[in-house]
Amino acid sequence: MTIEFLGTLRTLAYLAAGMLFILSLRGLSTQETARRGNLLGTVGMALAVVITALVFVASLGQSTTASVDAGSSTTAIGLLAAALIGGGAIGALLASRVAMTSMPELVAILHSFVGAAAVLVGIATYLQPGAEGHHAAHLVEIYVGILVGAVTFSGSVIAFTKLRGIVGSRPLTLPGRHALNALLVIGAGALAVMFLGAEGTDGLPYLLGMTGIALLLGIHLVMAIGGGDMPVVVSLLNSYSGWAAAAAGFMLSNDLLIVTGALVGSSGAILSTIMCRAMNRSIWNVVFGGFGAAPKAKADGPAAPVGKVNETTDKEVAEQLLAARQVVIVPGYGMAVAQAQHAVKEISSLLIEKGVKVRYAIHPVAGRLPGHMNVLLAEANVSYEIVKEMEEINEDFAHTDVVLVIGANDIVNPSALDDPSSPIYGMPVLEVWKAARVIMLKRSMNAGYAGIDNPLAYRDNTYMLFGDARKSVTNLLTDLRG
Amino acid sequence: MKAGIPKETFPREHRVAASPDTVQKLLKLGITELLVQSGAGDASGFSDEAFKEAGARIVSDAAALFGEADLILKVRPPTTTEIDAMKPGATLIGFFWPAQNKALIERMAARKATVLAMDAVPRITRAQRMDALSAMANIAGYRAVLEAANHFDRFVPGQITAAGRAKPAQVLILGAGVAGLAAIAAARSLGAVVKAFDTRSAVREQVESLGATFIAFDFKEDGEGQGGYAKEMSAAYLAAEQALIAGHAEKSDIVISTALIPGKPAPQLITSGAVVAMPHGSVLVDMAAEQGGNCPLTERDQVVQKYGVTIIGYTDLPSRMARQSSELYATTLYNLTESLFHKEKGYFIDLDDEIHRGALVLKDGAVMWPPPPRPKPPTPAPVAKVEPVKAVEEKKKGIGGRIAGAVVIALLTAAGLAGPPDFVQHLTVFLLACVVGWQVVWNVTPALHTPLMSVTNAISGIILVGGMVVLGSGAGTAANVLAAAAVLLAAINVAGGFLVTQRMLRMFRK
Repeated sequence: MTIEFLGTLRTLAYLAAGMLFILSLRGLSTQETARRGNLLGTVGMALAVVITALVFVASLGQSTTASVDAGSSTTAIGLLAAALIGGGAIGALLASRVAMTSMPELVAILHSFVGAAAVLVGIATYLQPGAEGHHAAHLVEIYVGILVGAVTFSGSVIAFTKLRGIVGSRPLTLPGRHALNALLVIGAGALAVMFLGAEGTDGLPYLLGMTGIALLLGIHLVMAIGGGDMPVVVSLLNSYSGWAAAAAGFMLSNDLLIVTGALVGSSGAILSTIMCRAMNRSIWNVVFGGFGAAPKAKADGPAAPVGKVNETTDKEVAEQLLAARQVVIVPGYGMAVAQAQHAVKEISSLLIEKGVKVRYAIHPVAGRLPGHMNVLLAEANVSYEIVKEMEEINEDFAHTDVVLVIGANDIVNPSALDDPSSPIYGMPVLEVWKAARVIMLKRSMNAGYAGIDNPLAYRDNTYMLFGDARKSVTNLLTDLRG
Repeated sequence: MKAGIPKETFPREHRVAASPDTVQKLLKLGITELLVQSGAGDASGFSDEAFKEAGARIVSDAAALFGEADLILKVRPPTTTEIDAMKPGATLIGFFWPAQNKALIERMAARKATVLAMDAVPRITRAQRMDALSAMANIAGYRAVLEAANHFDRFVPGQITAAGRAKPAQVLILGAGVAGLAAIAAARSLGAVVKAFDTRSAVREQVESLGATFIAFDFKEDGEGQGGYAKEMSAAYLAAEQALIAGHAEKSDIVISTALIPGKPAPQLITSGAVVAMPHGSVLVDMAAEQGGNCPLTERDQVVQKYGVTIIGYTDLPSRMARQSSELYATTLYNLTESLFHKEKGYFIDLDDEIHRGALVLKDGAVMWPPPPRPKPPTPAPVAKVEPVKAVEEKKKGIGGRIAGAVVIALLTAAGLAGPPDFVQHLTVFLLACVVGWQVVWNVTPALHTPLMSVTNAISGIILVGGMVVLGSGAGTAANVLAAAAVLLAAINVAGGFLVTQRMLRMFRK
């Protein structure tokens, strides 16, 4: 096989891989085709890797005869094989070990890998000895690719630590943080000018300096975002990881990377947009707003509970559930934290067996990842037919006898609709209070993730069942069976 | 402060204003001593011993109880004897019907008494816990269906047996207030086919939610009165209403009528003619008997046979389930009493509190009833409020999009003029791919957001190819190591992303 023939084959294979990726994303948009979509993506990736590896081996074989000695080509092949096999094994292990409740962390850390890979590829490209040196446009491509990659990397690492609880979820709002951001960007710009002016690979210090600045920028940007906005952040980083891949494609003149990166980038951007619309906020507000803790609540310390709440017991709740005709379950992040989804599923199956109409209501930003609750419920074997979106179910609360709110807070907060001073005013929420009775399973009267007091708790038809979600749900299940 | 629970003296009244449960809770409020008249709870199934165990002191004599207590909790309005025995300046909470009991108000005023009427608690959401009328109406509606079934000489549910077939009873409910809705629910759970009539078209939804058919009445007046009660209508209106009801009654086995207008005699919805037309053996429960009845043939507190129809005119339906109604009534009474004990100020009637002001009939002998009119029930319009915000937002987005578009075109032109030719070609590919991605992803179902994200995440591991290209181009050792590290990270991403997506998708099931 000649290199020329392989080159043509590679172009065709890349084209096929790109199309497979498009079909893969398309397949992921409905339940029926989602698994096929994932398979198509896998095939596309395998195709791209195999053809690149073929070209890799062939080109090394040819260059051996010319300048580079046999030893280094064997080393390169060994390195590649080790990296591919090692990385694949680690990835497979991660994927099989991760608990569904830790999906947000896994996704975040995987994004950081793409960012890091983009940075490494960028630097490696720059270090490549070119006979005629780098063209200015090529240098810009490298520079931008590393910049985006570094921001993605450090941002994702911070998102990971926040989701993991290593770093507090409250937004870090440094004084003059906008000025700091601007300063970092200006610094990166100044280094760019010096970098472009450097000969050969002399620009490396500038490049590394910029990498440091970009890492800081990523850290600072994500630190400033509150826990409640994590779904948006994760999907934004998803988008960035795509742009980073596309930038790498530019610097390597590789169309497959460009196409794929652009696909991922725009897909992540759409997800972010969907999330923002669900919260009735703009993307700028999420990224630069520093929202996530109401300034007022911060000033007063932990939001002081006002008003009177009705407390209830698991026995009472069990009776009410059995007497109800229609029950809606609203899961929130608290359910994920307590890993209560299996017990919740048992409750819903038991009630369905007894002739109660049970449905789940999922808010678009429930949890810490877009679609987080759906994944957990799917893991617990809840049929997706009874899992409803906010728009589908909001009308029905008026006919519902009992609503079980399990570890959710801001997404059922009525002040989003009726209190213009509330920081979440204008965000569409699940209007659970229209039901005859609302049972809130909560750990305590502390404010939700966004740090906002929830007036729902003080409504006359709201009853609080305090305690750890899993424990409460398990007790409830025992009562229902008894 | 001492509180007292007397035995009810009204004929056929079996309820009592406290249960052992609420006695315990009342004593925690700041009431120092609680007196219960001996035998007060006998008819409701609460023995003196039970009250005693809950912490009450049993008093044998009614007069002594009235003379000692600062706070009297009752069911029915007090008799003149009881009023005269009351300690001057004492407070009474119970049903009082101030509109019908002007003489009692005067007599109580002479004792400098304070009166809170349970029947005057405003029907607002916050006061639901104190809504004794609804609690009692709920019981009455349920009991009315059982009384009817008891006097009905056939099955209520439809049955097909070896010995023949029984059709389900046709039940007609007039008035879909609390009692009417409770009656619908009870009749439905017995297996009857239920129709319900109400002049207020707004209740259609509630009727249908209970599984009954709503009988609509098209006439130009709207029956929704202030505060959720039906209001009185004109003569022509009534005639049209009677005709409609007669038509439906003719096909009904059981008719339960609950139509009341506060402070007015009950509307005569079922004419004698309508009763004549009803099937032989059918039953009519007239729950408005106390206010004169919805049917002229109804006899108060009696069960009578007229034209082959059994007409039940019980006015004591809640008392026929005295234990249940006492428990619920006592709880609403407790809830109102509890609201009088302010956290800091102690016992205190708050004239600015809509509930206290509404229920207050007398304050230290001064007549406070009727309360100043309150505004129409507010119609919640939060949804309308949200919309303008969205509109503004979208407008902004539109402008932003156009600006972004213009910037992209400008950049492209600049790049085309200045950049190398292959750069422009890459840019074209890039932008096309963005558009494709944008088009392909928009319709994703929210449930699949996480799998989509992890698949795109895996796909963005394509940077693996980038690492391989660098590695294969015979670069220096440093570049090789960096590229290999990139391949390693990207490989983790690819394998992890695809596998975890597969794992997630396998869990989704129909």
